[in-house]
Amino acid sequence: MSEETRQQLNRREFFSFITVGWVAFTAALAGLGSLAFRFTYPNVNFEPEMDFVAGFPTEYENGVDERWKNGFGVWMVKQEGKLVALSNICTHLGCVPNWLPAELKFKCPCHGSGYYMSGINFEGPAPRPLERYKISLNSDGKIVVDKTKIFRYEMGQWDHPDSYIGV
Amino acid sequence: MSGKGFADKVRETQVWKSIFRHGPPNNARNRAAVIAGNVFLHLHPIKLKKSGVQLGYTWCMGGLTFFIFLALTVTGLLLMFYYRPTAEYAYNDIIALKEHVPLGIMREIHRWGAHAMVITVWLHMFRVFMTGSYKPPREFNWGVGVILLVLTLLLSFTGYLLPWDQLAIWAITVGSNMAKATPFLGHGGPGAALAQIGDFVMVSDKNDVRFQLLAGRFVGEPALLRFYILHCVFIPLVVGTLIAVHFWRVRKDGGISAPL
Amino acid sequence: MKEFINWMADPIRSFPVVTLLYYLMMRYYRIVGTKKFAYISLAVLLPVVVWFCTDPNFVAIILWPDNIPINIIIVLIAWLTWYSLYRCAQNDERLEQGLTPIEATPENREKVWTWPNLVYVELMCMIGTTIFLVVWAIIFKAPLEEPANPTWAPNPAKAPWYFLGLQEMLVYFDPWMAGVVLPGLIVVGLLAVPYIDTNPKGNGYFTIAERKMAMWFFMFGWLVLWIYLIIVGTFLRGPNWTFYGPFEFWDFHKVVAEYNVNLSEFVWVKWLNMPMPHNMIVREFLGIILTAVYVVVLPPLSATTKWGKKLIGDMGKVRYYIFIFLLLGMTSLPIKMVLRWLFSLKYIIALPELELSL
Repeated sequence: MSEETRQQLNRREFFSFITVGWVAFTAALAGLGSLAFRFTYPNVNFEPEMDFVAGFPTEYENGVDERWKNGFGVWMVKQEGKLVALSNICTHLGCVPNWLPAELKFKCPCHGSGYYMSGINFEGPAPRPLERYKISLNSDGKIVVDKTKIFRYEMGQWDHPDSYIGV
Repeated sequence: MSGKGFADKVRETQVWKSIFRHGPPNNARNRAAVIAGNVFLHLHPIKLKKSGVQLGYTWCMGGLTFFIFLALTVTGLLLMFYYRPTAEYAYNDIIALKEHVPLGIMREIHRWGAHAMVITVWLHMFRVFMTGSYKPPREFNWGVGVILLVLTLLLSFTGYLLPWDQLAIWAITVGSNMAKATPFLGHGGPGAALAQIGDFVMVSDKNDVRFQLLAGRFVGEPALLRFYILHCVFIPLVVGTLIAVHFWRVRKDGGISAPL
Repeated sequence: MKEFINWMADPIRSFPVVTLLYYLMMRYYRIVGTKKFAYISLAVLLPVVVWFCTDPNFVAIILWPDNIPINIIIVLIAWLTWYSLYRCAQNDERLEQGLTPIEATPENREKVWTWPNLVYVELMCMIGTTIFLVVWAIIFKAPLEEPANPTWAPNPAKAPWYFLGLQEMLVYFDPWMAGVVLPGLIVVGLLAVPYIDTNPKGNGYFTIAERKMAMWFFMFGWLVLWIYLIIVGTFLRGPNWTFYGPFEFWDFHKVVAEYNVNLSEFVWVKWLNMPMPHNMIVREFLGIILTAVYVVVLPPLSATTKWGKKLIGDMGKVRYYIFIFLLLGMTSLPIKMVLRWLFSLKYIIALPELELSL
């Protein structure tokens, strides 16, 4: 009987070794997997500058100014005494809309989303208005646009004092 | 020995006999030997049902898909001799492929072949559905086929970026922005707005699935390199492995389908 | 006449027409699947195609190099769909007479040598494809546009043609639905096909009569929701993703008055004459209820119908609910399309705060 017990114990021990082995193996795989996953996210990347100086407020006429569109992806829109920096990335799928001066609207070529001059969407599949970037004046009185800070209309952020400058 | 032609003499040389260890396949024994003894032909069974030979039944679309995949591998390898996946060179290298390289249709064959492969994969699936060939015992192999279909589309899609022209960059921008909308995993998708603790945004444009795909927030040079690796190495390896599984299971599940 | 075709091609009209044609084709596949029908329709279609090709705008769009694969696939699918219907009609007639399908006749069950029977067929197919590809490559140059410019989007900006069905869905759905959930459902649905379709008949031969339901659903998804949408997205969508008829010049300045309204605006502004409430759940209550009904209430409700009971008896509950869920996913697209066309409805649920719009 003692012989039998020992054998059973041995078998039990054997299985517990297998369990430990499998757990260790799975853990090692998961660890390597998550390291590989983390590896796909670089720590540093070399993308364009996120802020730029956009001249003096007096340089802008009423309406949409496209001079920073190609370099920085920003429209300067002056309307009702406010100057705002409007993102040129369509909120639908990230295409770049075109400003159609004749129809006073931004129209996205990819899926036809349309936005008023204020950036509010009114046609096509865009789910929400264009985003505005932080805009402020530096000590020289020049405009500074900071694209790292975003103001979204549907969150009620367009009243935020950083989202426009009064002119 | 009179009356023997040149071909017969070639067949009797030691070199020929060392390569083909059987006589010409005009009797049962040799027809079996030619299929079983050749590593490429032994994908096939030695005999098969007549319906499996008829183009009217198989449309040959699966076989053609594999053939085009091989053709794309060869032309793709040749293209790699001249192509550098950087924003500075990529576009000029594509032009060079047209103008500075003999046989300037290599890129055309590769591109149209890629389209043709998508077409043949779809039509293969269409045929398999129409003949009910996904039914037991072939359920699993249908699943492998669906994954291969998705991978074919991904192969084609990752290759679309490489010419680095307007068509490429905007097709990939539109395509990858869908990844942005993945629920919970993309910063522009449902759920991302909920995953926010105070000011700390858990899913942002710097750590979502789109960033992983593009190695950046925009389609830029890191994305080009990443798509190049996916297109030339990673996805073809996976596809090759799954093709082996697919073919193996065609044989193990009873060959080309036929009425039970 | 051209004006009429342009007018008819708009998805608002062409989608119902295509659906109707699909219904007629499947309903009368015994007539469609005859050689006589094929010859007559070929005789009618060829002059029409030639006439279409006299129009410069039409030729410009079909000969655009990246659109060539779609021309090829349209021809192949038309031919192969007819051919499968032909084979199905033949087999179903034999089955009615108590005979076996053609694939199961003794001479077709006979085994033949792979060498030379199969390997030569394969060789011929490979040679044919090679010639085809080389000729294609010589005639049509691979497109190469201007160098990539991340600040300026071409108009229209299109995805590769095989994704244009998805891009067309984006007109009706948000990216998370059209780009992630629906494609995911297509893949999952395809994977699930052999496990849901428990009908043992029709394994290894062409037939419609013995597997009606599988055929009807699959062919609808494949021909109408996938191929038709790709054709629309390729040939009929021009600058600004606006609709252009097949003979219409792609005028960049074509203006289409379009104003889409969310369901919540219908409810609060138009019906109740109230300002929109601030709480987003209250604002969208009707859409949320409708969606919940669609996803949660419809499946069990359908299980109580005669059709549902029969299906549950055949395939069991788990399979049935997976099937219904996938089916609802598929039908959500035509539903959303029709709502958009009839009521200019934009979103059933509009929660831009959570990026969750439906």
